[in-house]
Amino acid sequence: MFNNAMGLILADNKKITLGELSGPRALSAVPFAGRYRIIDFMLSNMVNSGIKNVGVLTYNKYKSLMDHLGTGAAWSLDRKNDGLHILPPYVNSEATNINGDEELAGVLDFLRTSRTTFVIVANSNVVLNTTFDDMIEAHEKSGADLTVMYNRDATKFGSPSYILDVDEDGFVKDMLYNPQKAASNKSSLGIICLRRDMLVDIISKQMSHGITHFGIHSMVKMFDELKVYAYEYAGVALRINSVQTYFNASMNLLNESVRDDLFWSGEPIYTKVKDEAPTLYFETSDVKNSILSDGCRIYGNVEDSIIFRSVTVSKNTTIKNCVVMQDAHISENCHLENVILDKNAFVRPGVRLVGHHDYPVVIGKGAGI
Amino acid sequence: MGRTDVVAMILAGGQGARLGVLTKRIAKPAVPFGSRYRIIDFPLSNCVNSGIEIVGVLSQYQPLALNTYVGNGHPWDLDRNNAGAYILPPYQRSGKSDWYKGTANAIYQNKDFIDDNNPKYVVILSGDHIYKMDYAAMLKQHIAKGADATVAVYEVPWEEAPRFGILNTEGDDSIYEFEEKPAEPKSNLASMGVYIFTWDVLRAALIKDEADPNSNNDFGKNIIPMLLSEGKKLFAYRFSGYWKDVGTISSLWETNMDILDKPEEINLVDRSWKIFSRNPVKPSHFIGKDGRVKSSALTDGCRIHGDVEHSVLSESVIVEKGAVVKDCVLLPGVVVKEGAHIERCIVDFGTVIGKNVKAGPNVEGECAYTNHKICSQGITVFERGLIIKDNAVIPANSMIDSDIEVSDEESVIQSTFRV
Repeated sequence: MFNNAMGLILADNKKITLGELSGPRALSAVPFAGRYRIIDFMLSNMVNSGIKNVGVLTYNKYKSLMDHLGTGAAWSLDRKNDGLHILPPYVNSEATNINGDEELAGVLDFLRTSRTTFVIVANSNVVLNTTFDDMIEAHEKSGADLTVMYNRDATKFGSPSYILDVDEDGFVKDMLYNPQKAASNKSSLGIICLRRDMLVDIISKQMSHGITHFGIHSMVKMFDELKVYAYEYAGVALRINSVQTYFNASMNLLNESVRDDLFWSGEPIYTKVKDEAPTLYFETSDVKNSILSDGCRIYGNVEDSIIFRSVTVSKNTTIKNCVVMQDAHISENCHLENVILDKNAFVRPGVRLVGHHDYPVVIGKGAGI
Repeated sequence: MGRTDVVAMILAGGQGARLGVLTKRIAKPAVPFGSRYRIIDFPLSNCVNSGIEIVGVLSQYQPLALNTYVGNGHPWDLDRNNAGAYILPPYQRSGKSDWYKGTANAIYQNKDFIDDNNPKYVVILSGDHIYKMDYAAMLKQHIAKGADATVAVYEVPWEEAPRFGILNTEGDDSIYEFEEKPAEPKSNLASMGVYIFTWDVLRAALIKDEADPNSNNDFGKNIIPMLLSEGKKLFAYRFSGYWKDVGTISSLWETNMDILDKPEEINLVDRSWKIFSRNPVKPSHFIGKDGRVKSSALTDGCRIHGDVEHSVLSESVIVEKGAVVKDCVLLPGVVVKEGAHIERCIVDFGTVIGKNVKAGPNVEGECAYTNHKICSQGITVFERGLIIKDNAVIPANSMIDSDIEVSDEESVIQSTFRV
């Protein structure tokens, strides 16, 4: 635990869309693993590292994210000093272009008022449970200007992938974006650490060169000017770059070793609490190899699925290989296979819906079928 | 909503001795209930849902778990600027200091707290019932009738009336007599232990009661009869929803089972009257390929690889492959090892049921732990923090208590740990 770092989470990613799932919300606010949103993992990682000052940088669609984060109390970030700061784009009458340099100006202010030495900056397309103590220690020891976390997933999660070419001392000498043929299997996890004053310098310099977008890999790409060290993460890291990888990451949770790494061996993952009732399994239910959350009423069959809070699965209905989000209602005599049901979806009696495990069917938020 | 002319006081200091080992380390209101809750969540949530924002929690017996649980009241939205949840333990003062002698004395000792909030009305609640009740509706009647005190009553079957404190009323529901456990009841209106007093009236009564050295300082036994003898206006408030006392092992077990057998009665999924609780920080629960769950309630952190039937499981319970759990109430962190078969058991925090342990009504006879005083109806209770020996056989109506001295041969406890 250290108090010498602050955190900055980039809540959305212009390169990644999850189709209907990210339509109504930022990437980091997409529900995941039964009772979480993707951002819960990175926020918890930061808090579990002793970080008490976290900025969440957003640029649009931030309503559900703000509902979720609130005052930050669920992560113990409702503090008098520091705490949680949501950084929406500055929009004023003179500059209505919200993708302009207001985004960076807002970040600069936030960084300048902090007193910590280091900053951890993270994208929100990766789910992992870690603390950053070891990474910062490695960063200091290496004498690098910037350290980037990677693992050996290479390109298997598809675009966007940033493959690192690392020299024998562990420094980055090249970075390739979505290469046809990967130079190595070292793929950036989109998490960096560096000194806060250096980040302020980099951003100021970028602004004066007319660069308006704040991106982690645009900084890693500065390996010609800066010493960029690569730090390997050996634990489970689930990348979410598309509907397909979202679905795969969800199904991966059914592996005991993945659940152990994400939930049981490290620090706790915090999320907004909902005070739902316990889940009730009725006499007719049959549930196998599935994750279920509170407040559900299960009368039917559930197999190999992830069920979020307050979902109803009615009698004579089978849910197989599905992700069913909060408050969805599935009526009697339905058969759903390889389907992602977003929040509040309603499935009428007798509906049969089968996707392919490589291409799940997505039913949007609040849809009735 | 949000009335600051009302203060609620929850009497949470009692030991709850009839719950045996379950209340050895924690006060009764902090005992887990219904998979996700503690008993005190019900009166606390009722207060908040009724718009009462100043809630005193009177703690005395084993207060640590209760104080930690209630904390600053945040889970119930009771962390307000000028209101909220206040833990009120007995305290030292110049001259003398006392434990809470009785329910009325507990309020008497905290009359400064109530005075400081300057309420018109005080709601007195107990921390040992499972029910959802709108105290605002009761207060409305109290005000409309111009009452000095209003007592919530519940119509019990006539044959059960002798077990309760019974209120005898006139046609307009005004109370003329209170009888504690009458052999021949004149009415079947049982006091629920929920009172609303006009504070001036109660304040004067508490001072008078305190001056009487022969008083038990109890609301039912002393304060209500005193107000009646003084000719004060007391009314009954009829409540007809779900209401269960969880003061004994068998009633605690039955009330847990009600969640499974008649979920619509207590209706925990009603979003207009949520029961709030301090939520555990655990992932969603998991049912494995070999797991089988029927007619049961589960919550976060459970991992089920065995058979669970007609049982209520709290957070982070593990049931291993080949284990059978039937008609049980398992509290947070309990582990049931491979091949164990337990029925009608209440297992407290963290206890590990060893491999192939057999416990429940299928096991006949008696053992060193048999306790008919606390346990009945074939229910077996395990203390918290025990590791039960593999292959142990435990007859029904036992209370597994690490303080009972038994020979190594008879003992079913391998070791204990602190939870």
